[in-house]
Amino acid sequence: MAEIVINNLRYRYPETARLALDGISCEIHQGEFIGIIGRNGAGKSTLSQAMLGLVPNFYHGAYGGSVTVDGINVKEDTVDDLCQKVGLVFQNPFNQVTGSKLTVYDEIAYGLENFGVAPDEMRRRIDSAMELLDISQLKDRAPYDLSGGQMQRMALAGIIVMEPEVIVMDEPTSQLDPQGSEEVFRAVSALKDEGKTIIMVEHKIEKIAAYSDRVMLLDDGKLVAMGTPKAVFSRDDLAEHGVVAPTYTQICRKLGIRDREGFYPVTLEETRSLLESDMKGGLAG
Amino acid sequence: MNTIEVHDLRFAYTACTEVLKGFTFTLDERSTAIIGQNGAGKTTFVKLLKGLLRPTSGQIVFNGHDIADVSVPKLAKDIGLVFQNPNDQIFKNTVIDEVMFGPLQIGMSEDEAKEASRKALDIVGLRGQEGTNPYDLGLSNRKMVSIAAILAMNTKVVIFDEPTIAQDHDGKERLHEIIESLCSEHKIVISILHDMDFVAQTFQRAIVLAHGQVLLDSDPRSVFSRRDVLQHAFLEQPTTTQLCCALGYNDIFLSPDEFVEHYQTLKASRL
Amino acid sequence: MKSISLYEEKHSFLNGLSPETKLLYVIVAIAVPVILGGRIPFFAFIAMSITLLAGSGVLRNTKTIVAVSGFILITVVIIQTFFRGGTFTELFRIGPLVARKEGFEYSLGIVLNVLNIIFCFCVFVLTTKPSDMMQEMVKHGISPRLGYVFVSLFQIIPQMTEHTSTITDAQRSRGMETEGSLATRIKAFLPLISPVIMNSFTDTRERSIALEVRGFSSTSKKSFLEDFVPSSADSGMRIALIVLFCASVAFTVLRVMGVIAWLR
Repeated sequence: MAEIVINNLRYRYPETARLALDGISCEIHQGEFIGIIGRNGAGKSTLSQAMLGLVPNFYHGAYGGSVTVDGINVKEDTVDDLCQKVGLVFQNPFNQVTGSKLTVYDEIAYGLENFGVAPDEMRRRIDSAMELLDISQLKDRAPYDLSGGQMQRMALAGIIVMEPEVIVMDEPTSQLDPQGSEEVFRAVSALKDEGKTIIMVEHKIEKIAAYSDRVMLLDDGKLVAMGTPKAVFSRDDLAEHGVVAPTYTQICRKLGIRDREGFYPVTLEETRSLLESDMKGGLAG
Repeated sequence: MNTIEVHDLRFAYTACTEVLKGFTFTLDERSTAIIGQNGAGKTTFVKLLKGLLRPTSGQIVFNGHDIADVSVPKLAKDIGLVFQNPNDQIFKNTVIDEVMFGPLQIGMSEDEAKEASRKALDIVGLRGQEGTNPYDLGLSNRKMVSIAAILAMNTKVVIFDEPTIAQDHDGKERLHEIIESLCSEHKIVISILHDMDFVAQTFQRAIVLAHGQVLLDSDPRSVFSRRDVLQHAFLEQPTTTQLCCALGYNDIFLSPDEFVEHYQTLKASRL
Repeated sequence: MKSISLYEEKHSFLNGLSPETKLLYVIVAIAVPVILGGRIPFFAFIAMSITLLAGSGVLRNTKTIVAVSGFILITVVIIQTFFRGGTFTELFRIGPLVARKEGFEYSLGIVLNVLNIIFCFCVFVLTTKPSDMMQEMVKHGISPRLGYVFVSLFQIIPQMTEHTSTITDAQRSRGMETEGSLATRIKAFLPLISPVIMNSFTDTRERSIALEVRGFSSTSKKSFLEDFVPSSADSGMRIALIVLFCASVAFTVLRVMGVIAWLR
């Protein structure tokens, strides 16, 4: 059964002339990892916020079509109801700190307090989330005293304790250094292993290629393509849409080396084995 | 030729936290990327270059003059720094006024400033947006405004603090062109970066920092061949280089084109 | 990033009292000296506050605020003592300046009032965790959203201050002078204040989304991770304060009715 169904979604921010989202339709299934790519201004952030009804319930503006999460139309529900099904983490780790708590542990509890969860249950969930994201050792630190990567993982913990089925992440590593980035991707990998549905907007194209089950390419508010990373990155029109394929894909395209299905590889491993075969001269396709 | 000589530069915020533990090198007209994880000393170093912090010991000598005696606003004539967050600097209502602010502050006339600003906006690809409010532009274009604001000051040194954050492919291409154009004018270009692919394809020199010390200082090819040292600084190699290592090549390649050329030559030689 | 908090987590007498009791102390400490009149109640409450603060190990945290207000108060004393108009009784002379008894006594009244307010507020602020303050407020029916705004200021304002120094650096780097004459500083105001405000708007906007997706607007009944448990001294202290307040009101009423003579 599909988890999120988007049907001809159209949206325009208040007092603007352009459609930020222009007729997007797709289905996202439980447990999938969806990567969203596209140039700046393509509508990626808007789409990620539409998944939990911030568009249109928070921003208002003109809205058409529908987004249903587990059968519920987001337009007809409230954000505080939906945020228990769909969590959102975004770019700036600092602005996701509530500022009202003195320790990391209390900070993570914030959402649970808002929903009246019992203290024992809160503690159980927080401990488990901190364990999963490898931040248990930070529990007594002050929230603003953390590094970017630690802060972002704390933000993620604050979301997963509310036990959403879907987690949307909007460029979560763009303001982090390489180590912070690595920490966040490791955390995301752990969540993927737990069976969560993950939707990630990213510019780090090699990461998207490695983690995603399917990739959505947006441009000018429209969904240009949706398919496996190989299928999308093997397209000829990526440059037109302001996107560049992973380095490995670019290399194989220039060398004309495809895999058995006729696509170019998108990960290091695949590329390595294809190139080794090709060099030996025994390559099919 | 412009040079910045750094002699045994040390900096400590308090007596027991030495952040820079003695840098000695000379920055010249080779475009230089400064890489390393957060906390390694990159931002501190850049602030020292701008006079925003003063060294605990050691010297910074720009074109023969010790900058210790020069105030920050006076240094601004020669050394420009594009801050990471454009919102930290933009305060005027139109793009052209914002870009003209710096040139006017350092003593250019109204006409000189306007001319320099128009040129700068051309370089960053915002020609025609002079009358727009910077806050009506998206973040990446606002970043370009803040870059133009420094370019218009025509300083001999241009420093970028993480210019590639939140940029898409087109934005990075434009940045690449800007840096090449500055190099062709013999300016000293320095940039703090986290994007190793961008470093590999744009810069002539890379300095790796970790824990306040310089671990490597050489051209990108040599630097990125040292996987062991890079790991120590929590850095990865550029993606093409990772492929070279995975295939067991001895040579290091920094871009898909280089790799492809080498691969085709290698294959041809085997036939 | 450093967080700057006035509150220190520790086990002390004052930390063990509930926020309600401490707030009651503030009200009593300000009201009783006014009800009773005279200088002695002021001295008594200032001494009481200082003793409580010292006993709980937070007296040194009052240094800054006392220094700042001390400076202002000394100015008030000097101005009132030497320049207060009207008839006067001379205390002493320094050159052309005459120290006036009336002026001095008037300024002393102000000093005592201000110091009393400062110290009793410190008793509350330095020993109460912001989230406990909020918990009290929410339990008494104040909207949790308002409670959040109040509590978050303790951390967000220091963050904004840190950010301001980055903004100052950015503008100085473009050649803007920030030090020097008053005119220079005034000219520097707009290029500094504008980014501070714009950044606050952007940050606040993003933060409100982050809060929304964590149930900020939820109408469910709130729960609390840690329930504040007051010490055994709490109810005793509260009773003592109420008794003190009632006694001082009674005393004043009786005095006014002429039952008790009070010699000033």
